[in-house]
Amino acid sequence: MKQILKNLVLTIALIVGLTTVAFSQAKKPTLMVVPSDLWCITNGYIYEFDNQGTKVKIPNYKKAVQESPELLMVISKINELMAERGFPLKNLESSLKTLESESAENAMLESKSGASLSETPVDKLKKTAKADIWMQVTWMVNQVGPKKSITFNLQGLDAYTDKQVAGASGTGNPSFTAVLPVLLQEAVLAHLDNFNSQLQMHFNDLFENGREIVIRIKKFDSWDGDLEKEYGGKELGAHIEDWMKMNTVKGRFNTSDATENMMLFEQVRIPLYDSNGNATDARGFCKGLQKHLNLPPFNITNKLMMKGLGQATIVLGEK
Amino acid sequence: MKPLLLRINLILIMLIGFSVLAQAQRKKQRQEDKDTQAWRYEIEAVNTGVHGTYLIKVWSYSTSPNAAIEQSKKNAVHGIMFKGFAGSQGIPGQKALCPDPNVETVNEDFFKPFFSDGGKYMKFVNITNDGAVAAKDIIRMGKEYKIGLIVSVNVSALRKDLEDAGIIKSLSSGF
Repeated sequence: MKQILKNLVLTIALIVGLTTVAFSQAKKPTLMVVPSDLWCITNGYIYEFDNQGTKVKIPNYKKAVQESPELLMVISKINELMAERGFPLKNLESSLKTLESESAENAMLESKSGASLSETPVDKLKKTAKADIWMQVTWMVNQVGPKKSITFNLQGLDAYTDKQVAGASGTGNPSFTAVLPVLLQEAVLAHLDNFNSQLQMHFNDLFENGREIVIRIKKFDSWDGDLEKEYGGKELGAHIEDWMKMNTVKGRFNTSDATENMMLFEQVRIPLYDSNGNATDARGFCKGLQKHLNLPPFNITNKLMMKGLGQATIVLGEK
Repeated sequence: MKPLLLRINLILIMLIGFSVLAQAQRKKQRQEDKDTQAWRYEIEAVNTGVHGTYLIKVWSYSTSPNAAIEQSKKNAVHGIMFKGFAGSQGIPGQKALCPDPNVETVNEDFFKPFFSDGGKYMKFVNITNDGAVAAKDIIRMGKEYKIGLIVSVNVSALRKDLEDAGIIKSLSSGF
């Protein structure tokens, strides 16, 4: 009887486990359409300031979405077509508005005892519009006599690896009569399917070979150790690389930079699900490394910070 | 008695004639379907279609121009699914909806009725100009004709149908 019960419990546990894995969904990347720096500079939607004698130009997205009807039309058309494909995008204008209202609310927020919200300079720096993949759009109007045509370029840029994961570009047919919004709409319709087929290939690769992320290891100057400190005859950096080999998909990662103070790991392929079958990301993956470094023989207190799904930083020495 | 025999003979001759004609028609159709499966057609971009559609010209081969027009619809949907097409001046080409070349044989149960005469493929294709073919698009090649017909394929609906049938993955599948 005991044996039967044991088998029954084991079978149920197995079914529950399999169901969790089968129905668990990978973390969905967020996409947002933004105008490229080139387009912003060409059309005058920029902030310009003097950085110690060097003129620096930064795109002013808020001004661009408020003043360019063509940009709004292009963003709206791409959003519409992507939503039709079952992949709704984050909207740039709405994200900027949310950031502003949240900032105002945070400034006014007070507890009953008069305490305000705590915010470090890093928290402030992180308050920008975010997406995992940027759909960067650029177009130029070409005019030869009365004929007009559009050169359109759509790039899908991974926010963490800086890789272009999808793209579509080309110059449309010259037209005597068509107005600019019609030419732009035509360009979006002509190029978006090719962009999406490349994006689909990127997602297929992600499911097959794991999510590609970037991991940085740094140290606080208050910590007396460094990445060359030896544990059991091996440097700490080498121990971290061993952990990476063990935990990445097929041991795939590149150590792009390593000194006594920092390490940079690029093209790190992490599984989409953790050992419990739950969807994971760079932060979830690095929690494992954080825990590993907390344990003997290392016993290193460390701080884990993240940026979206694909970037994490561990700073050694303190919280 | 004589007129009765004459009538019976006439009816018999007519029946045999019809049956031979129908057989020849079926044979021709089978040959055209074989051509479709053997990728014996060409597709070229005509213009950027309206929202969710591709406007293309399909070149099909047949011994009868009328049959070629009907087969062109089948070829257009087949081409969008498995072949894709190259771009022309100012119009980008498009990749096939099913990038895996084996998908047609693996999912034969789905595609056989889909591409049968009057099958579901008809839902996704429209001929333009009421099927009128320009004189320059009818080319006589020995015993057969090469006919170029401009058609519009509803790619959005076709893609959705293939996604629902589990033939291709949607962009958001797995997330």
